[in-house]
Amino acid sequence: MENLKSKLQGRILELTNPDKRRIFLRVAPVELLNTVRLLHDEYGFWFVSTISGLDAGDDFEILYHFAGKETVLNLRVSVPKTDPRIDSITPVIPGAILYERELQDMFGVVVDGIPDPRPLLLSDDWPAGQHPLRKDWTFNRPPEVIPGAKS
Amino acid sequence: MLADIVRWSRKKSPWILHLNSGGCNACDIEIIAALTPRFDLERFGVLLESTPRHADIIIASGPVTRQMKDRFLRIYEQVPSPKFVLAVGACALAGCVYRGAYNVLGGIDQIVPVDMYVPGCPARPDAIIDGVVKLLAKV
Repeated sequence: MENLKSKLQGRILELTNPDKRRIFLRVAPVELLNTVRLLHDEYGFWFVSTISGLDAGDDFEILYHFAGKETVLNLRVSVPKTDPRIDSITPVIPGAILYERELQDMFGVVVDGIPDPRPLLLSDDWPAGQHPLRKDWTFNRPPEVIPGAKS
Repeated sequence: MLADIVRWSRKKSPWILHLNSGGCNACDIEIIAALTPRFDLERFGVLLESTPRHADIIIASGPVTRQMKDRFLRIYEQVPSPKFVLAVGACALAGCVYRGAYNVLGGIDQIVPVDMYVPGCPARPDAIIDGVVKLLAKV
């Protein structure tokens, strides 16, 4: 923990240790790839459990959940809603591409440097620019027809 | 004369196609259970087919998702006429817990005409047998 603090000197926006074997770390979006590389190479956080997103009003908070050998580390990055761009972490962890594609689908966060930006979860005829997990997105449900119903 | 034979054979041995268009798999397990010797839907001559081109009845389970709609219609059009659709489970009837989600269009009857509905979440194998037999009475 202290080691991590000294290694990441100047990059940390917030580093807490709320419980045993839990670390919360917040960095700026530009430092993301370097931080992930450092965690991967020197601390053995090579497994990303998932990437989750949070619509926090004016910005999106993106949480990278790393499962290490002994510790669970949550790396948090905030990007502004007006220009949501984030660097891809696939140069370090190639398997994260699925989560990043899902992030692009659900929140419309543009992941820079992603090798394959196709939609992952939304259907093929999904209109562009619609992101279901954004808080300001509302779903206009198509009307249902009930066969044989009394009108 | 020939039409009578065709009708008789269709009634005595309907071939079914099992199609899940986005459900949770519980109804599929029950449909398979209905075909096993314990419940034995096959005593009515029902044969599970693996291709829509050989089938008479589509047993559909699960709600229709937006992605699945075109594929469902393509499968439906491959089934030779006259074709019958049996909707199994609450999702296939109206969407159940998936109803109103952004990727779900609703029940099977939102895209193709349905001849018989079997409610239940999941439907019991007995109920599925009941539905198939009642559908055969309509054939």
